Amino acid sequence: MTTLLEVRSVRKSFGGFAAVDDVSFELRSGEITGLVGSNGAGKTTLLNVLYGKTFADSGSIIMNGTDVTKIPAFERVRLGLGMVFQITSVFHELSVTENLQLGALRKGREVRPSSDTDIDAILALIGLQSRRFDIASTLSHGEQQWLEIGMVLLAKPQILLLDEPTSGMTRAEAAKTADLCRSLLSNGTVAAIVVVEHNIDFIRRVSERVLVMHRGGIIASGSIDEVQKDQLVRDSFLGRMQ
Amino acid sequence: MFTLSNSLVKVISAAWKRAVEIPQSERRRVTEIVLGVLLFSLPFVLSDLFLIDRFGRYFVWAIFAISVDLMWGYGGMLTFGHAAFFGSGGYLVAIFTTRGGSFLPLPLWPAVGLALFVIAVFSFLLATLAFRGRLPLRGVEFAVITLAVAFLLEQYARAGGDLTGGQNGILFEVRLGMFGLDLHRGRGFYALAGISLLIVYVVARVFVASRQGLITRGIRGNEDRVELLGYNVPNVKVGLFVMVAVFAGYAGVLFYVHDGIVSPTAVGATASTQVLLWVALGGRGTLAGPVVGAIVLQHLTATLSGTLLDTWLLVIGVLLIVVVLVFPGGILGHLNRGPAR
Repeated sequence: MTTLLEVRSVRKSFGGFAAVDDVSFELRSGEITGLVGSNGAGKTTLLNVLYGKTFADSGSIIMNGTDVTKIPAFERVRLGLGMVFQITSVFHELSVTENLQLGALRKGREVRPSSDTDIDAILALIGLQSRRFDIASTLSHGEQQWLEIGMVLLAKPQILLLDEPTSGMTRAEAAKTADLCRSLLSNGTVAAIVVVEHNIDFIRRVSERVLVMHRGGIIASGSIDEVQKDQLVRDSFLGRMQ
Repeated sequence: MFTLSNSLVKVISAAWKRAVEIPQSERRRVTEIVLGVLLFSLPFVLSDLFLIDRFGRYFVWAIFAISVDLMWGYGGMLTFGHAAFFGSGGYLVAIFTTRGGSFLPLPLWPAVGLALFVIAVFSFLLATLAFRGRLPLRGVEFAVITLAVAFLLEQYARAGGDLTGGQNGILFEVRLGMFGLDLHRGRGFYALAGISLLIVYVVARVFVASRQGLITRGIRGNEDRVELLGYNVPNVKVGLFVMVAVFAGYAGVLFYVHDGIVSPTAVGATASTQVLLWVALGGRGTLAGPVVGAIVLQHLTATLSGTLLDTWLLVIGVLLIVVVLVFPGGILGHLNRGPAR
């Protein structure tokens, strides 16, 4: 397995508060990494630093050998990063097809423009063929989340970042999302996925490796069963760790 | 009488219901064709040259409104200072055709070309500062900056001495024409403004339907998502801003050369907010809506101000409120709602 992303001693502070504190990990091809932790642990800030919404104060982020620590978000996307938000960010006034076209149109560096066939394939993958002409605002929350994943996939990312993808979904929708994540990896659509999630059942279904964050740092990593046995993790989730 | 009006309401209601079942794109096409036929047949049905000339002026306003619609309606960037470019078109052509200097005065069309070039450069620099700075401007911040630019330009125009003519502005007598044709008044001006409007409209429609137009509509919906699909959003916004500034500048050139005078209010906030009313009334994000809004409101203003000397502003204000309440998306915005196919 090749290393796609290296996060080295990354730190991000707001005022005197270290939201992300000396975080290091590697993301290898072929794996889905779960990022868990209680509210305020620093998961979302870490994601923001990874996709370029904010820059790290110190440390470095290396994607496929390229230092992306200080480059803007759109450049990171062009290098193969895809980001899906917890609150769906599809284009509500555009149709499903137009949303996907926006994902497929990009002709920047690392160009692999997608075709109508790609859009049809993605529609089949996310199960929205019958709604292709509908305006995105008429889709359910789960469908909007899948549409957003479809848009991001059309930009052909290697690494997919998912911020609480099952938030607000029904059990059935969450199960379908888990299947979607696994199939994306197994059929080679993406090379690796990072999932931030509170839904531990979902993490158990999709992730081989879990990173546990607490107070800005990573306190444990391993399989879900391994980290659940870790006393530090149990204390941090139960609020006993100071 | 009651039965008749009741039947009429039923007929209109049924027609409306059937109309909204027609796919959006077809409704838009029909609206555009009807509007085009109505507007371009006027010289054949009107004999009043003054009225025909006045419609030429409305067409110029319509170009101005289209430029604002591209920025606000499609790009989602509200601008309170768009008259800065409209008025600058007039000022620059007036300066280039009347002032002396190393290469001045210029004949009309080279002066127009130079004026539009200056507007393009100025708008590029302004947009670069606004969108590519350390803290890129969005929403209200951007709107306030555009208002400030219009205000500054108006103040400069008032204080500009011989160059801008100060409070009085610049009186200049340059006649619009090309290939030996006099296009300065009446049917000639109507034709020049009408063809200009048609060209700008077609360019705007092609732009909206293009890849760049889709990205622009995406920016209106969710700028962050567009960036996270790999697009360089500041570059797209800068390109759009330059295009709409040049459109507005060209409209200003036609308008003020036709009038033969340009004064400080041309670049100010009043003209900038007036155009927003036209766009809002006609329906932002529709292109044809702002054309309708500009023509209807300006024609109402011209007609009512001559007949209701003391109350015409009040009447127009009430009309605007009623229309906005009944059609929140503007007249054509309301008509264009419904299935997308």
